[in-house]
Amino acid sequence: MTTPRTLMNPLLPFIMAGDPSLEALPGILSAARALGLEAMELGLPHSDPIADGPVLQAAAHRAIQRGATPRRVLESLAGLTDSPDLILFTYVNPLLQLGTEALLRLLAPTPVKALLVVDLPFGEEPAFEADLRAAGYPMVPLLTPTTTLDRARGILSDRPDPGPEAPFAQRFAYVVARLGVTGTGQGTDLSPVASRVADLQSLGDRPLAVGFGLSDAASLAAIRALGATPIVGSALVQELASGLDLRTALLPRWTPAT
Amino acid sequence: MTSGFTLPSRFGRQGLGGCYAPETLLQPLLDLEAAFVAAASDPAFQAELKAELRQFVGRPTPLTPAPRLAAVLGLRSLYLKREDLTHTGAHKINNALAQALLARRMGKTEIIAETGAGQHGVATAAACARLGLSCTVYMGVTDMARQAPNVARMRLFGAKVEPVEAGQGTLKEAVNEALRAWAGNCNKAHYILGSALGPHPFPTLVRTFQTVIGEEARAQALEQCGTLPEVVLACAGGGSNGLGLLVPFLQDPLRRIAVEAGGHGAGLGEHAARLDGGRMGVLHGCRTLLLQDDHGHTAETASISAGLDYPALGPELAALILDGHVEVRRASDEEALEGARLLCEAEGILPALESSHALAVLPALAREGVSSVLLGLSGRGDKDLSTYQARAGVSA
Repeated sequence: MTTPRTLMNPLLPFIMAGDPSLEALPGILSAARALGLEAMELGLPHSDPIADGPVLQAAAHRAIQRGATPRRVLESLAGLTDSPDLILFTYVNPLLQLGTEALLRLLAPTPVKALLVVDLPFGEEPAFEADLRAAGYPMVPLLTPTTTLDRARGILSDRPDPGPEAPFAQRFAYVVARLGVTGTGQGTDLSPVASRVADLQSLGDRPLAVGFGLSDAASLAAIRALGATPIVGSALVQELASGLDLRTALLPRWTPAT
Repeated sequence: MTSGFTLPSRFGRQGLGGCYAPETLLQPLLDLEAAFVAAASDPAFQAELKAELRQFVGRPTPLTPAPRLAAVLGLRSLYLKREDLTHTGAHKINNALAQALLARRMGKTEIIAETGAGQHGVATAAACARLGLSCTVYMGVTDMARQAPNVARMRLFGAKVEPVEAGQGTLKEAVNEALRAWAGNCNKAHYILGSALGPHPFPTLVRTFQTVIGEEARAQALEQCGTLPEVVLACAGGGSNGLGLLVPFLQDPLRRIAVEAGGHGAGLGEHAARLDGGRMGVLHGCRTLLLQDDHGHTAETASISAGLDYPALGPELAALILDGHVEVRRASDEEALEGARLLCEAEGILPALESSHALAVLPALAREGVSSVLLGLSGRGDKDLSTYQARAGVSA
């Protein structure tokens, strides 16, 4: 527990596909890659994002208004090589409506390496999840403040670490830092997160990423100091929507691995 | 790892329902199921619930013969199960009160609820006042405008009404916001979901607490008429009223019919008829028939009735329909208004717009040769006076 961990990845940003626009997406991803980012979460907008706060709700709404359907988002990623590994962050219904076959066909030429489906507990769609995993798209396990350690053990073994050969995108577990929905505005007290991360680290050497409510450079650094990867989502989405470019938005939050 | 739930979470041959909830809510849902199972076998809880239903809610509600309306329509007999006569004026109180008792038993001090027509919100606010629990109700802004009397009633009972601006400002958005609020406060708060939808165990919980409607109605029909009707009929939004009335009649040789909101047209976005217009999908934690576009985004809906415009059918009711145990009809806005007018004039009862959709299919049933009907009058229409006044159907 006290052994210092090598931090596999110093920052995991989240952006919403189609916000500000789908046309801008390849440029944003290549800027992320140029910064040295290994992985990135890409939100696939949904009409009813029950785990998202106002910022990501609004971003999803704008993206849908601009025509960012699941199919068009995935098509816009086809053939991109100049991109970090992507974790597709979404809700289950748009994926079920595409169907496993079409989804796998659309994913094949993209930099997507894993999926994080907020409202899909393990076991609810066993065939769908098994088919995706077999095709190389594992589901990212989610651990929240209400997840008991016993339950966390179960979740981590249901959605196992493929091992050190695999990229970060396919290995990490997503630790939700606080109760509630995505968004900024958390108080600066990170001590509950610190003890939570330590508890989860005691379960094994799975890389952990911590998100929900983190935005400023100091909080991100504090998460790194725990040996975990900080996730910045809503704050970044808001800045990109207001016209800031990704590089300018991320530079103050970014400490390249040394 | 198994899910950890002990009750079945899926319904029917196609396995509707399930628990498609964010991880934050899984433990609270497991805790809720455990508390529900324990309460179900605890005579003290059952006695407390029964006493409250009798002394506070006013159960049993009557089964009222409606001979003049039956004569107008050409039916031999028509009986109305009078949920409109419950305290707070709709069937919603049966579930709200039972869940509030369960929440108190679980040591929760705060209650969150969503509401569409406002009946579930009013019922929850009343139950919370009665039990000394604090109450926050999420309600879409469109619904707040068209069901203003209910907003006022909730506030009089001490509830906080949180307006939800997103989307169409109706029930779907209110559920979104209530789920988010619960995720933020699930240690202290219980979410009293008002219809038989959402992630397991909510559909089972709500149906269990609502079947008192059909159990009473069935016994009353046998006692008052000596026989069961040919048709048992209820309107269906999410399905709590439909299941509550129809489930106790599942073993009987009669027709069970649920009526959906036909709105003002047949196109997507113009109605809330999920059987014909919907496809299998996941919304708010369960797999069921859902009005959606080709991309899996929830479709808009339309109905004159704020209680029937939910884009999904509750999973158990959808399963009963798909497996052939319950038939579905739809009634348009205009037909519902006409149904309300007929009941007002023939029987002196003002139905809620929701219940009017069930009334609206009676003429067609009579024309088809049905002679006896038991209809669930789910709520009273005081909340809808301004709509009735504004539309030509019922002038006042």
